[in-house]
Amino acid sequence: METYQIYSLASAVIFAVGLAGIFTTRLFFKKIIATKIMGGGVFLCFVSFAERDALAFADPVPHAMVITGIVVAVSAAAFALALARRIQQLTGQETFPVEEE
Amino acid sequence: MTMTNLFTIILLLAGCFFFLGGTLGLLRFPDLFSRLHALTKVDNIGLGLIAAGMAIHIGSPWAALKIFLIWLSTLLASSTACYLVAKFQLGRPSESPEVPAK
Amino acid sequence: MSLWIDSLLAVLAVFLAVRCLLAPTLPQCVFLFFAFGLTLALAWARLGAVDVAIAEAAIAAGFLGVLLIDALRDFSRSRSTGEGGDRPSRVSQGLVGAGVLVFLVVAIEAVWRVPNGGGLTALAADNLPQSGVDHPVTAVLLNYRSYDTWLEVGVVLMALLALFATGGREYFCRPVVRAVDPLLRQVILLFTPVLFLVGAFLLYLGKTEPGGAFQAAVLWGAGGILLHLGGWPVFASMAPWLRHLLLTAGFGFFLLLGFLFMAGGGALFEYPLAQAGLLILVVETLAALSIAAALTAIFAYFNGMSAESAEPFTPASS
Repeated sequence: METYQIYSLASAVIFAVGLAGIFTTRLFFKKIIATKIMGGGVFLCFVSFAERDALAFADPVPHAMVITGIVVAVSAAAFALALARRIQQLTGQETFPVEEE
Repeated sequence: MTMTNLFTIILLLAGCFFFLGGTLGLLRFPDLFSRLHALTKVDNIGLGLIAAGMAIHIGSPWAALKIFLIWLSTLLASSTACYLVAKFQLGRPSESPEVPAK
Repeated sequence: MSLWIDSLLAVLAVFLAVRCLLAPTLPQCVFLFFAFGLTLALAWARLGAVDVAIAEAAIAAGFLGVLLIDALRDFSRSRSTGEGGDRPSRVSQGLVGAGVLVFLVVAIEAVWRVPNGGGLTALAADNLPQSGVDHPVTAVLLNYRSYDTWLEVGVVLMALLALFATGGREYFCRPVVRAVDPLLRQVILLFTPVLFLVGAFLLYLGKTEPGGAFQAAVLWGAGGILLHLGGWPVFASMAPWLRHLLLTAGFGFFLLLGFLFMAGGGALFEYPLAQAGLLILVVETLAALSIAAALTAIFAYFNGMSAESAEPFTPASS
């Protein structure tokens, strides 16, 4: 078992945990956090494969992509949070409405 | 060489011990003020010991200076944060329910 | 030994993710998310990705954490996680569980068998002497794939504009009315130059070692946020033209540079060999300034948003 394999397995589990979190909560706030956890799993996967392809140093291309990805993910999360807060302020809703069948 | 290694190990172990104590205090103490006390004081000592151990391990004066500055700024930040949290708790309108009733 | 440490970190990350999503109150959820982010940063340091670790700890755990804590003021705090009475039915819960489990198996299988293509390490290493910098990650970020970085600066700017679109710009320029503790003000005054200096140091260090524009930008942005919290809304109160210039300088200079290179007969962002190092440093500085300004503005907007509800943050027990 190599070091990177531990982390790539963990990345799959973290992604699945985030996915389950998105489905099991109705709160906007927790849905956003669950999305961030999924993103963390994806980034961990990238970086663990960068370690696998290391020669003198780890593969810098995934590293650079993850750094850009982190900033983009945070920007998106900030936008999502602002939307959730506006919805809460305007309607008092913090969750998705339950649809009637 | 082995002497510095020994010092490093002792300092790191002592730092970990203090961190453990601080975390224990955070988890076990009954109210906010004693938790803050445990968290800021004990953890700062622990961090200082670990920083000293790392500085000895690296053995370069510039790196040691940087580590020392990091520790200093952490001290400053954590004591300010502690003060603010405590002050907020004291100023709360709801009669500070978390102060121990004895 | 090191395998044990890595396994422990991986298990800890998964455990924190699960606990974060199962936390009974939202503040607990946020702080466990902090811990999760810092664990990921440690994992990346273990994997040799020090740049990514700094970026994660600073932006994803630090900056986003500040936004999340600020957002807690608007969301109910003590309520257990919201499902409450209208919990989804048992059948749909089972379906979701089974679906996620199947997905997990597929994902593990996929991750386990990703073909080993060798990556781009050798290519990146071979071209390093022509890139103008000595640190491979900086070379990728600002030379080989600089359009990624360019567009990323644009994405941060877009996020700010989208925030403005969600609720009007008036939040942004709202003056700070609360009284600020004098001790806090002093400490912030002390920290501002230190943050600026450390940011500049990281920016310059990016040429040879882990560090660079994003890490510097977050430190500068943190300085701006601290000043804002200390009662000096520097960014919100500066002249509009200066604010706009700061926000767009990074994106605009990148664009200008790209056009100039193309006008000179090269490809977009094909730096001339002799000036590559200097140009990269200038681009990095401007990009860091713009990102820092955008982060400060995003925080100022968020903070103004909660001032509307005019209710100070109180922990769950009140």
